[in-house]
Amino acid sequence: MLKMKKVSKTYRTDTVETHALREFSLTVDEGEFVSVTGPSGSGKTTFLNIAGMLEELTSGTYELDGRDISKLNDKERSAVRNQKIGFIFQSFNLIPELDIFDNVDVPLRYRGFNANERKRRIEKCLDMVGLTSRMKHHPAQLSGGQQQRVAIARALAGEPRFLLADEPTGNLDTHMAESVLDLLTEINESGTTIIMVTHELTLADRAKRNIFVLDGQVSDAAPEVHFAAVASA
Amino acid sequence: MDIGPIWRAMMKNKAGFILIALQIAVTMTIMVNAFAIMQERANNAARPSGLDEANTFALVSALFTEYEREDKKSMIDEDLALIRGLPGVKNAVATNSYPLRQGGWSMGLQLEPGNQSTDSVGSAIYFVDEHGVDTFASNIIDGKNFAPNQVAWTIEDDDTWPAHGIITEALGKDLFPDEEGSYVGKTFYVNDNDPVNVVGVIEKLQAPWPGWSGVEKSMIVPQRRVSDFQRYVVRAEPGYRDALMPQIEELLTNSNKDRLIRDMTIMEDVRERAYLDDAALIKILTFIVGMLTVITGLGIVGLASFNVSRRTRQIGIRRALGATKPAIVQYFMVENFLISSIGVVVGGILSVALNIAMVEAFALEPLAWYVIPLAMLALWTVGQAAVAGPAKRASNITPAIATRSS
Amino acid sequence: MFRYYLKLSLLSIRANPALSALMVAAIAIGIGACMSIITVRHVMSDNPLAHKNDVLYHVRLDNWNPDNPYDEPNEPPEQVTYLDSTALHQAGRAFRQTISFKSDRVVQPEGEDVKPFQEEIRATTADFFTMFDVPFEFGSAWDAAADQTEERVVVLSSEMNQRLFGSEDSVGRSVTMNKEIYRVVGVLAEWMPVPKVYDLNNNPYEKPENIYTPFSIAVAGEWGSSGNNSCWKPTGGGYEAYLASECIWIQMWVELKSASEKGAYLQFLDDYVEEQKKLGRFPRELNNRLDTPAEWLVYQEVVDDMVGVLLSLSVLFLVVCLLNTIGLLLAKVMRRSNDISLRRALGASKSALFAQYITEAGIIGIAGGLAGIGMTWLGLRGIENAFSGYDFIAYLVTMDWTMVLVAVALAIVSALGAALYPTWRACSVSPASTLRIQ
Repeated sequence: MLKMKKVSKTYRTDTVETHALREFSLTVDEGEFVSVTGPSGSGKTTFLNIAGMLEELTSGTYELDGRDISKLNDKERSAVRNQKIGFIFQSFNLIPELDIFDNVDVPLRYRGFNANERKRRIEKCLDMVGLTSRMKHHPAQLSGGQQQRVAIARALAGEPRFLLADEPTGNLDTHMAESVLDLLTEINESGTTIIMVTHELTLADRAKRNIFVLDGQVSDAAPEVHFAAVASA
Repeated sequence: MDIGPIWRAMMKNKAGFILIALQIAVTMTIMVNAFAIMQERANNAARPSGLDEANTFALVSALFTEYEREDKKSMIDEDLALIRGLPGVKNAVATNSYPLRQGGWSMGLQLEPGNQSTDSVGSAIYFVDEHGVDTFASNIIDGKNFAPNQVAWTIEDDDTWPAHGIITEALGKDLFPDEEGSYVGKTFYVNDNDPVNVVGVIEKLQAPWPGWSGVEKSMIVPQRRVSDFQRYVVRAEPGYRDALMPQIEELLTNSNKDRLIRDMTIMEDVRERAYLDDAALIKILTFIVGMLTVITGLGIVGLASFNVSRRTRQIGIRRALGATKPAIVQYFMVENFLISSIGVVVGGILSVALNIAMVEAFALEPLAWYVIPLAMLALWTVGQAAVAGPAKRASNITPAIATRSS
Repeated sequence: MFRYYLKLSLLSIRANPALSALMVAAIAIGIGACMSIITVRHVMSDNPLAHKNDVLYHVRLDNWNPDNPYDEPNEPPEQVTYLDSTALHQAGRAFRQTISFKSDRVVQPEGEDVKPFQEEIRATTADFFTMFDVPFEFGSAWDAAADQTEERVVVLSSEMNQRLFGSEDSVGRSVTMNKEIYRVVGVLAEWMPVPKVYDLNNNPYEKPENIYTPFSIAVAGEWGSSGNNSCWKPTGGGYEAYLASECIWIQMWVELKSASEKGAYLQFLDDYVEEQKKLGRFPRELNNRLDTPAEWLVYQEVVDDMVGVLLSLSVLFLVVCLLNTIGLLLAKVMRRSNDISLRRALGASKSALFAQYITEAGIIGIAGGLAGIGMTWLGLRGIENAFSGYDFIAYLVTMDWTMVLVAVALAIVSALGAALYPTWRACSVSPASTLRIQ
């Protein structure tokens, strides 16, 4: 479903060139639950931005459902993000002025659905995360775990091809973190692909496949094996 | 303090600073031009008319009954005798108009007799008797006043001009531009062919129209005119004016029931009416400049606060690295000074440009040179004062911010 | 989508009340300053005779000095002589014509204890009232016959009727002026043309005269003009000589059936002047003019330069207020950058965000415009206060619906203009910045 071929990302200023991501290739199939781990500064965030089309590649191609999405203009990229990717952020990023219903509604508005269709989807997703009763409340009135679940509902509402989660439990205590992870597992079991970026290895364990990022290099192999190769790079 | 890094840092994030500089520039343009206009108008309205304004007043006698010509003359003679006889009256005269009245007579005066009026000099005309000079408080600087036998009533159906006249110095300069010596004894022509001999020159007597470019050019004519409307101008001794006004009104009303006494007005009110526009404009512009200072001051405070708040992390880092509180304050004061400087330079250029445009379009006076540096100083001060608060708050930012990760 | 943006805008404004209030205030004050002056200018430059602009004409003949034009570069005098005005009026070639001047009389109201007072009178002909659409409350103007017979009649203004007769129907009653008795034939309704197009020679904004009498009566009584009077050569003295002179002191207007008759009437004037040239008058080249009310107003430069000066300064004042608005909007956008990058991440395109923030700016603009109307009203009261020495100032400081609409439109345009840069910044916020640095 998702194919990155010979992708790299370099930041250039007038004086300095930073290789945030060295050339790598990656394929993710439908229904996978992939974790992306690595220490701070490893390039995980850059990988996330690339995967989520929040930034452009410097080289290589990025195919989603067979379509090359690396060379699109802003309008097209926005549409792909809107329809194909569901974001879940570490700090939830719910809009404080809007109630829960309207928060889940946000991505649907940019899709052009009519009011009935939007309502149907929102109610379905809130039900999936168990928060239908809190529809009219505002984010400030919810606990951290509940807010993250709203964010998940928002991510699901557009029926994306995959969920892209960035440290989804980073701002939650262990108890809430557990329930969110359970939810994600459940969602994955019902068929949704999930790519989860995290620096915690315990979280990574819950995923079915692990990808590592170290010093800008993305690879399937575990870091120990890779270390020697990196040292000589 | 090294300006370089401050300047470079500013350039990286121009938007906030351009807004402050622009605001200073436009504010300065308004202030400079408003001030220039206010000053011009104030100067205008302060010009002396030549009269002893504090003690002089005027009134109108309007005859509404058919009188024979001789009876009209008698009435005027009686009125003047009555007024002049009152204690506290320095002098009084019957005349057609007076300075700043905004209505009156003007004639074109020529050096040569004949029909060509190409080179005529415009002058205001005041018809008076020998008491005119003293009533108008005119200072004779050359020659002398009219002798009583030079003053005469108009002759019916004859508009020949009297042969003598007293002119203001300004009129003399315009009429006899090449004359180095005295104007007394010189002759000019009025009404194409009537000669007028200069008997005396007075220092200052303005025309009735304050907006006229020739407002200093007036001529006093020794002629008593027989008309139904007479204007009497009365010059009182100091302190007597206010008591005399109702007294004269009553006396004249009672002495003759065939005429109306009206328009009793003091010269101070005449001046106020004449310069109403100037006073109003000054009021309005003062208000605008005041409002502007407040809005710009507050605006710069806001923008400065905004610029500071965007750099909270940077400031914390500086403090963590050893910058003292005064150093932080100084940073922002210097930065603001740079911005204000750009603002006042651009403002100076815009001010001059606007002034030139307004001189063209609206016949304004060009700017006096010192207004611009004065305005620059004012706006530098406003800018520095506005940034002082946010700079102080910036210096209070805790260095602990540097270690926080988000 | 627009309703969505509307909803988001209102929520955003409610969430930032202080900031939003400051923005509205900044716009309102700038609009208030500008619109006050624009309103005064609008009223001052109005043409109360616009609806008759193609049929009414002001007559000018060039009877002036052969050596100098009356005014540069070659303008004929602003008024006409007694000889010419009466001759042309007599000829009656236009559909309607009127000649008039203003003078002074002393009115002697009935009653022992009532003091007489001096009043400005307009000496005119019967057509004056129909030509200038002067409204009557009681009675009517005198008829053309009265112009000829020198019957002593008057028309009173509403104010004069109030003063003399307590606003009753005074038609048929008498008014004594300078010991002569006049019969009231008509009373005007409230009438305040701004400016006073039919006679712009003195103060274009003063109230119209309070008493009107036939032209012939004034001349028979040897009334002098209290308006402007100019002569380019000596008259010789006395009233008779004055009437026969080249002095200009009379205002003449004609009404034609349509604009297409203008050429023919101008030809008539030219022919008349040619005839007079044979008698030795009109030494200058043929230079007769017919000006419509609009053209006449422009020629007279009725709107003071001071208005232009104030307008320039108030526009700059608005610019200062808008700079403040830009700053405030920028601050708001920066504060909202999380919201912006989130929406971008969730799939909003740059143009969607542009539309959202422009909508918000538009709402601020409308609010600023409505508040600006209040500010304009305040500004006009300030102007009225500054010019309180003029009794006609109240007429110049009234807002009509056009000005209200202009105020709101100007506010919206200004707000949108001010919003362009901040909104552009908003759209440029990258979606990636939502994600925290690990």
